[in-house]
Amino acid sequence: MIYPEKLNSKKTEKLLNIFIASSIILALVLVLINRLTTPDIPWAAITNCGIIYIWAILIFSIKRNTNIAGHVLLQVIAVSAILVYIDSRLGSIGWSMSIAVPIVLMVANITMLILTLVSYKKYIKYAIYQLIILILSFLPLVFVLEKIIELSILGKISIAISILNLIITVILCFKDVTEAVKRKLHM
Amino acid sequence: MVTYNTVLRGENMKNSNNIKWRKLDNSAKIFPMSTGQKYSSVFRLSVVLNNKVNPKILYEALLSALEKYEIFKVRMKAGLFWYYLEENTKAPIIEEENEYPCKYINPKANNGYLFKVTYFKNKINIDIFHALTDGNGGNVFFRELVYTYLEMCHPRDLKQEIRRPRKIEYTEEDSYIKNYSKKIKTKSKNERAYELKGKKIRLGAISTIHQIIDLEKLKIECSKYDATVTQYLTAVLMYAIYNTNYTENKGKKPLKICVPVNLKKYFPSKTLSNFFSYIILAAKFKNNNLSNFDEMIEFVKKEFKERLTEEEVLKVMSSNVKLGNNFFIKIIPLFLKNILVRIGYLEIRKHSTITYSNIGRIGILGDYQKYIKYFIMLIAPDPVEKIKCSSCTFENKIVFTFTSILNDNKIERVFYEFLINKGIDVTIESNGVLDDISRKIK
Repeated sequence: MIYPEKLNSKKTEKLLNIFIASSIILALVLVLINRLTTPDIPWAAITNCGIIYIWAILIFSIKRNTNIAGHVLLQVIAVSAILVYIDSRLGSIGWSMSIAVPIVLMVANITMLILTLVSYKKYIKYAIYQLIILILSFLPLVFVLEKIIELSILGKISIAISILNLIITVILCFKDVTEAVKRKLHM
Repeated sequence: MVTYNTVLRGENMKNSNNIKWRKLDNSAKIFPMSTGQKYSSVFRLSVVLNNKVNPKILYEALLSALEKYEIFKVRMKAGLFWYYLEENTKAPIIEEENEYPCKYINPKANNGYLFKVTYFKNKINIDIFHALTDGNGGNVFFRELVYTYLEMCHPRDLKQEIRRPRKIEYTEEDSYIKNYSKKIKTKSKNERAYELKGKKIRLGAISTIHQIIDLEKLKIECSKYDATVTQYLTAVLMYAIYNTNYTENKGKKPLKICVPVNLKKYFPSKTLSNFFSYIILAAKFKNNNLSNFDEMIEFVKKEFKERLTEEEVLKVMSSNVKLGNNFFIKIIPLFLKNILVRIGYLEIRKHSTITYSNIGRIGILGDYQKYIKYFIMLIAPDPVEKIKCSSCTFENKIVFTFTSILNDNKIERVFYEFLINKGIDVTIESNGVLDDISRKIK
């Protein structure tokens, strides 16, 4: 073997098709939930834009060989900060923390999961970014506990996806993650 | 005690306010303007050693090699009219290989360097942006790196093996300007070439398949046709494309194979900058009556004979130099040149189907050889030339490499089966991207 192991082209095709199908199913499910719960607020349109946005970022980053996970983390922080700022300027209605930020975090979590699965035998590369996004995903809970906002249905979905993401990552690369945490956080 | 060769420093490096800089050579001018993620203009040289690579020693060896070959210690800067090379004071970076070969070298992520040294298990790679040098210059620098690395790894074993205390004389001159002829007129009649068709591999992946061929047996086969190794392998490549991609897609345009030519064989030059040209073999299968291998190899031999004369080589070189030297082109500001070249290059690229570059034998001295298995050369494929081929020879092994973005390897398989059927020993190495097919080959 004179090259690092890479995903076989057929496997890449299969995985991509699965992820595209999953994205479409997710988008449809979100539209359905939107219709059944809060038909007056078309938040599913925003989530679906988010899914398309993340796909664009993902493909762009992979093709340009950049640090995709770092890219996603940066985008999450920047987009969330902008949304919270806009919300506060419009009179702190709370839509940023109850709708927009959970959507951003949800999409980011799914992206990190895709990256973890695609980067064959290199889960560790994204582990630390994934953990940071996971911690960020729980931030809306702080606002809920402080009774600043109510826990929205999107918030619940977002946290559920984060926990699911954590479980899958731990199953896939428990040893690697603990080593990475030790290395990065050593005093 | 290992004695290092003394080096005659580059002559053409200018010195302004203590920052050394030099112009790009005539060929190199086009690369920074036309290069991007899709067209990386990068080639790679690799050596597969018998022992695992020690990264710390490799880094020391790289620093030492750079001291001797300052021509590589540069970064690219943009002027008002042209890009130029400036002395790079930053340290080079080496890292473990984890990406596909021949990918675009982002200078910002590489301390400005236009080459990148990576390693993986027993293998050392150097990816070089073509604006810096050609295969010949890259080979000289890479050999120095390998020699130095081996000397540092095995100071006792190589104690007796002293490299000849000779001066490594090189220049950074633009040998194109020195050797081209202003008087020669060329009539260029360029017809678009057949473009390899098929689905591309997703997400920017590149497949590499190396066919490690027994040179002795290959030469016996070549002698039956009174052909050189390059001619023979070019003909096999033509045969493989014709019987797969060309016929399946009912190709009508001529199949054009671009073969780079080392101009140092024709003109005296000690430059380590680019100094190459190319010939293009245009096979019109019906017009040229080419349907079997025997006819194809006769066609290739004839084309090589006609096109590889000093006069013909000078013609091609001179027409290219004249274009770069044109006053009206010179005065166009760089930002406009970038746009025009990118548009123009979209068309130029369509004039060849595939490139096959053979850099020939990589000569390594006596006792150093026992630490080396073989050398590899790779060229970056692009959206138009979806497959590129290259080869180099070390001892009795010639490694023929396919780098491809096509999602099937029928051409590679027919090429392999052809050689095997002729009784030539071939083994396969690949990066696994199209592994399901290459496993069948194995």
